Amino acid sequence: MARAGKFYLGLVTAVIFILLEIAAISLLKRSSTLQNIWINRISHNVMATSWGGLTKVRNYFGLREQNEILAGRNYELFKELQHYKELEKTMNAMARLDSASLPSRFNYIPAEITAMGTNSRHNYIILDKGSEHGVKPQSAIITPNGVVGMIYAVDRRYSYGLSLLNDKVSVSARIGREGLVAPLSWDGHSFDRAILKDIPLHLTVAEGDTVRTSGISAVYPPDIPIGVTTGSRLIDGAVNVVDVKLFVDFSSLRYVIIAENPDRQIIEKMEE
Amino acid sequence: MKNYRFILVYLIMVVVQVLLDNYFPLSRYVLISVLPALILVLPVDTRPIAAMLLSFALGLVVDFFSNGMLGMSSLALVPVGLVRSAVIAGVFGDELTSRGDELSVHRLGVPKMVLTCLILCAVYFVVYVLVDSAGTVAFWPAALRFGLSILVSTPVCVFVVRQFRP
Repeated sequence: MARAGKFYLGLVTAVIFILLEIAAISLLKRSSTLQNIWINRISHNVMATSWGGLTKVRNYFGLREQNEILAGRNYELFKELQHYKELEKTMNAMARLDSASLPSRFNYIPAEITAMGTNSRHNYIILDKGSEHGVKPQSAIITPNGVVGMIYAVDRRYSYGLSLLNDKVSVSARIGREGLVAPLSWDGHSFDRAILKDIPLHLTVAEGDTVRTSGISAVYPPDIPIGVTTGSRLIDGAVNVVDVKLFVDFSSLRYVIIAENPDRQIIEKMEE
Repeated sequence: MKNYRFILVYLIMVVVQVLLDNYFPLSRYVLISVLPALILVLPVDTRPIAAMLLSFALGLVVDFFSNGMLGMSSLALVPVGLVRSAVIAGVFGDELTSRGDELSVHRLGVPKMVLTCLILCAVYFVVYVLVDSAGTVAFWPAALRFGLSILVSTPVCVFVVRQFRP
């Protein structure tokens, strides 16, 4: 009991002390500008420190909520990051296609394959670039790894092409850089093979030679690698055909380049 | 009769303090104050609350009649009133209060009285010098002022206490 009384007396003493000091400070603030500024500065510092401490405590107890918000934002950012990664892949693929060492006589337009048929003898390919992007019929569809096909018809936003896996498509090809020139077409047997036709009997073709576009065409740029020779066969006892393993993997093809020859019509007119 | 004398001397000391503040400024580095002594000489059984209230009032009176800033002496003297009982108990022991004796320089000895006055002056001047400088004076000049003020005021306070409690 006596201890409690002593405690309350101490408490009252402390309260009165604080009140008297506050009263003295108030009087001092009114009577002196210098002290007024100093006391204000101290009180502001004390208040700032107190608020800072309170904020820290509040933040500490609010961490759970903050964590949930951050987790949500983290998820959103992750999704966004994935989107940008995919975009970057696309851009890189486009850039790779763009930066390929392609002859400058042609105009090149990067495109993405929208649809492609591979299960018939007349396979097609639809690209996401059309006339408004500058695509014209009779343009080549290529990749740095080889020939893909040829543009057949053009819509405003899309273009329709004939795949190299179409027996109506024929590409003028050359074996080696300065070798024999012969038409290359798909024989309809395998998605990764084509044949070089009309090879004279007296010419022998070694296995493993690289087959490229010849450049003797208004459609395909020269020296685009197509494939590699794997052997030759005699047909009807009159001509040889050379089997070519294509470089292009049509099953995983996604990005291509449309190569358009601006002089094609002039050349074709002169040929007529 | 004894009480009248006490009050009379008390008032005279207040006037002396006012005169010291107004007309005898020794130096900007030396403050003379008898106010800690005037709180010390209150009856030993005076509770801290009463001592603080008296300290506040005494400080106000002195500041009002001096050229000083109103509230300054109160601000410095209220802590003296707060710690007074504790200092007396600490220096002279609990027996003084338990026996109901009053302070006496002669009986309790000058050294203990000097120590008591020194502590109370230190409490008073640490607040006074700090607030008076208001952050505009560097530490060492303020410390010098604090030290010199204690050095001068402590003997003065002992002298004043002796007038009340011989």
